[in-house]
Amino acid sequence: MTDEHKPHAPAPMVDEVSEFEVLEIAVRELAIEKGLFTAEDHQRWTEYMHTLGPLPAARLVAKAWLDPEYKKLAVTDGVKASLEVGIDWVNSMPTKFGTPSDYCNLRVLEDTPTLHHVVVCTLCSCYPRPILGQSPEWYRTPNYRRRLVRWPRQVLAEFGLQLPEEVEVRVEDSNQKSRFIVLPVRPEGTEGWTEDQLAEIVTRDCLIGVALPRPGKTANDPRPVRPALKPYHH
Amino acid sequence: MAEINPEYLDLDAAMSDRDMDQSPVSLLERIKQEGRVWGDLCEQYGVKNPDPPWRVTLEATCDMLAENDCRTPDADEAAQTAKVEKETKVLDGIERRWEEDHLVKEHYAHVPFPENQLLALAHTLIRRGLMDENELARKMKEVDQRLNMT
Repeated sequence: MTDEHKPHAPAPMVDEVSEFEVLEIAVRELAIEKGLFTAEDHQRWTEYMHTLGPLPAARLVAKAWLDPEYKKLAVTDGVKASLEVGIDWVNSMPTKFGTPSDYCNLRVLEDTPTLHHVVVCTLCSCYPRPILGQSPEWYRTPNYRRRLVRWPRQVLAEFGLQLPEEVEVRVEDSNQKSRFIVLPVRPEGTEGWTEDQLAEIVTRDCLIGVALPRPGKTANDPRPVRPALKPYHH
Repeated sequence: MAEINPEYLDLDAAMSDRDMDQSPVSLLERIKQEGRVWGDLCEQYGVKNPDPPWRVTLEATCDMLAENDCRTPDADEAAQTAKVEKETKVLDGIERRWEEDHLVKEHYAHVPFPENQLLALAHTLIRRGLMDENELARKMKEVDQRLNMT
């Protein structure tokens, strides 16, 4: 028997039902019983959400790095550019007309050697889910949301991103009408790379703007989650 | 220096003026104390997935509660049959997130994500009268018996 035909060891799995899992199902089923939404709509929406992830946004950036015309399209019409990476902001969703939670307005923020963008949602946690998937935990925290707009360089430094003084930092606040992703500067050392190779180094964190792409870096770093020590209204 | 989003200030003022009962919910307090969070289960069973399998279904529940527009066009007839609320948001997404921020800080600060999101959602639904604590407890018992049936 060759190695490739040897049976694989089963992947480890959690072999117990937690109270939290039970609570999630109970809340959902009770909401359905009460007529707050239907099981069918929930199922369709869940299936759609399972298809989402950061790869299309990474591919959009890689294409823009390789094709100046596509880059122009991306920064002028993010929704149209999304179509070329398989994301239809209107028709991909089960509703076939977008949703108020994921407004059909994507803006692609182009970085330059002297301008860096970073994205936040100070109001809640608006995020370009159709093209970037689920938001990370730290993005949702009041600490990130409130401090980034006040002390962007400090917060970016906490993420390990030290920017020179001559680089302007621009914070874009997501809202009910617009979602944003960052188009970083293509890093040195990637000359001659294919779209697939380039897409691999465009991580979720690069697309939010808390990290910069670099050769060999293909995963997000673990991020500490901090409480908001001094919420502004206290 | 950038200012806090004025939309947040408006929302914060409106929500702070609201007379919402933010006292603890005993059912959720018990789960907070006794429930095993995903991180612990992963460590015990050697699982690498950073998110529990129910994270996406929880997100979908939040979306479905927030926006009737999540409903598919061809489900309209089914929704009518099921007497689903058609024209009103059951739980506005921004208000839910505002309450989540406050409830997590007040009651679930030491519970990891997304378990704290789930507890906050259940807390909000109970305190808004959309669900009753006792019926949720009964439902949990029913689900638990079903999942642990051998």
